[in-house]
Amino acid sequence: MYAYNQYDQALVDQRVDQYRDQTRRYLAGEIPEDEFRILRLMNGLYIQRLAPMLRVAIPYGLMKSQQLRAMAEISRVYDKGYGHFTTRQNMQFNWPTLESVPDILADLAKVQMHAIQTSGACIRNTTTDPFAGVSADEIEDTRPWCELIRQWSSLHPEFAYLPRKFKIAVSGSASDRAASQVHDVGLHLYRNDAGEVGFEVIVGGGLGRTPVIGKTVKKFLQPQELLSYLEAVLRVYNLNGRRDNKYKARIKILVNAVGVDTFGEMVEAEWEQLKGGDLRLPWSEIDRVKGFFTGPDYLAAEHAEHDLSRAFAEYPQFATWYRQNTRDHKQGGYRIVVVALKNQLQAPGDVSHQQMDGMAALADEFSFGELRSTHDQNLVLADVAQRDLLALWLKLQDIDLARANVGTLTDMINCPGLDFCSLANAETLVLSRQINETFDDIDYQYDIGDIQLKISGCINACGHHHVGHIGVLGVEKGGKQVYQFTLGGSASEDASLGKTLGRSIEQDQVVVVIGQILDVYVELRETDETFLQLVRRVGFAPFKERVYGTHQRSAA
Amino acid sequence: MALIKDQQLSLDHATTPELRFADWLSDGQNNADAVLANGDDDLASLLTHANKLSMIALEFDTFADGRGFSMARILRRAGYQGEIRAVGDVAMDRIDFMQRVGFNAFELRDDQEVTEALSKFGEVTVHFQPSADGKGPAYMA
Repeated sequence: MYAYNQYDQALVDQRVDQYRDQTRRYLAGEIPEDEFRILRLMNGLYIQRLAPMLRVAIPYGLMKSQQLRAMAEISRVYDKGYGHFTTRQNMQFNWPTLESVPDILADLAKVQMHAIQTSGACIRNTTTDPFAGVSADEIEDTRPWCELIRQWSSLHPEFAYLPRKFKIAVSGSASDRAASQVHDVGLHLYRNDAGEVGFEVIVGGGLGRTPVIGKTVKKFLQPQELLSYLEAVLRVYNLNGRRDNKYKARIKILVNAVGVDTFGEMVEAEWEQLKGGDLRLPWSEIDRVKGFFTGPDYLAAEHAEHDLSRAFAEYPQFATWYRQNTRDHKQGGYRIVVVALKNQLQAPGDVSHQQMDGMAALADEFSFGELRSTHDQNLVLADVAQRDLLALWLKLQDIDLARANVGTLTDMINCPGLDFCSLANAETLVLSRQINETFDDIDYQYDIGDIQLKISGCINACGHHHVGHIGVLGVEKGGKQVYQFTLGGSASEDASLGKTLGRSIEQDQVVVVIGQILDVYVELRETDETFLQLVRRVGFAPFKERVYGTHQRSAA
Repeated sequence: MALIKDQQLSLDHATTPELRFADWLSDGQNNADAVLANGDDDLASLLTHANKLSMIALEFDTFADGRGFSMARILRRAGYQGEIRAVGDVAMDRIDFMQRVGFNAFELRDDQEVTEALSKFGEVTVHFQPSADGKGPAYMA
């Protein structure tokens, strides 16, 4: 993966000093509250319901084992011994003190990490496919391009005070595992008919209060002009995005207001001034960055391969885990391993400091010392030889991370909700607990198969409920926490927004309704038909009938 | 209000114009050569007339309004060589970025300490993107 040079290191070191001085002046009363709020947010520090929350950047989800160890140590020294992986592949600490944040940042800088632009109205951490560089169906590795975007967007002086936050995702496979169509900008790396690799640029997607699927603004962008084009998009947005209402300030509102064609023309007019200029990436620079992502020193296939049939026979649960939690690798003899951060005891995405240390050790032992975080709040060991899989699985059990539920109902996305978040209207963690208790039969989950349950505690949609096959949105009505269901959403290449099933459901009925929805699926499905396919085929009527025809306890 | 110009405390300088760009335009454009503009003004029109102006003061109504950053950047790119003065909600924690996009004068908010503000230029010396300061990104060095 990418390693800092003297420029990267100087930038994060100087940023620590800068933020330390800002904190000092704030505590001395020299920076007004409103102003410091913007400054601290640009460095990932929120003030939550109970304590500050610090969001640490994990650029495009890639980590070295020593970085995860450093976060484990930070969680011990400055927090309560755990952290939380977010849907932007970042790490959140829920209990640091405001005064300690400069020291945390200094500790992070020692391992080439930071919290720059993890919040605020600026360009956020670029996200990508957690299987980049290793998946069998990849067209082009997205990581070098993410790194180039990271550098260009880091402390960009012109785009620190945008109308609203700005999120970029990059996908490089036919399967979109980066939710790129629901980002402010989604970039699809692909090969055109002439055999050249370039980007399709999608703009104006997003979730939140106004969910929108992005629209293509440029069919094919030469890769050398990636940054010049992004700069043009950002400049048009910075000058023209609405600033009168923060709920109408995302780029999707601008794109919808003027139309994607007009928006595209505005960008082209600005881009005319930029392309071929200072921002055009020379191949020497592209190749330098690509040089960091050449892949580890794989064993020859005959040494990495291993006949697992005996192990499967001896440990049936290992066979299940292999089927459910590992994926095809482009390298012969290797598997991609997804480690679900979705056990019964912890909130989705939460990891204890022991688990962080444990995962770091397993990465060192079995996956070349690297890990990835995913937008569905799991971890990935991307390069595990088949011969090591059994040993890895046994050791994952020691740290309670061997649950074979990737892609199933209990592999849900969940924002922290009212337990932590000052924006939330409703609790979400209680739901994940109830779901885990109610649907604890893993064979039932396997029978239901591929399903994405996404839960948000408010309309800001951090839990991505609009793109869940089943989405749950917590709202407050008359002082009570109730939940709206949506069905049929997807964040993949077939992206779609879920539609509301009907009136809201009371908290203690949420698992009942999920059970009813799944019963309808089991009764009506055809051979090999997934839940999402069924919803698209039969529509909402049978679900409405089941949920509202017999269900009398729904809230008004 | 203290004015920093070209990275020094300025003691002798033109006062910030009160004449708004839109009024200057409708008044025939020849009664002054310094105007006050903000993010609501028409940038294309400002570019057309910039060569008649020795100073453009760009006003920030609030700390969060970033439009002036792009306006300054585009004015410099178009070759404007007069003074671009940041006025309004201008605090020390933004003047380094402002300078990079093309501002060369800063009318500091009253609560800002000048000596401390001057120390904010170049707090972060590494730049990963070209800007109006003419310096290329670090990787091109």
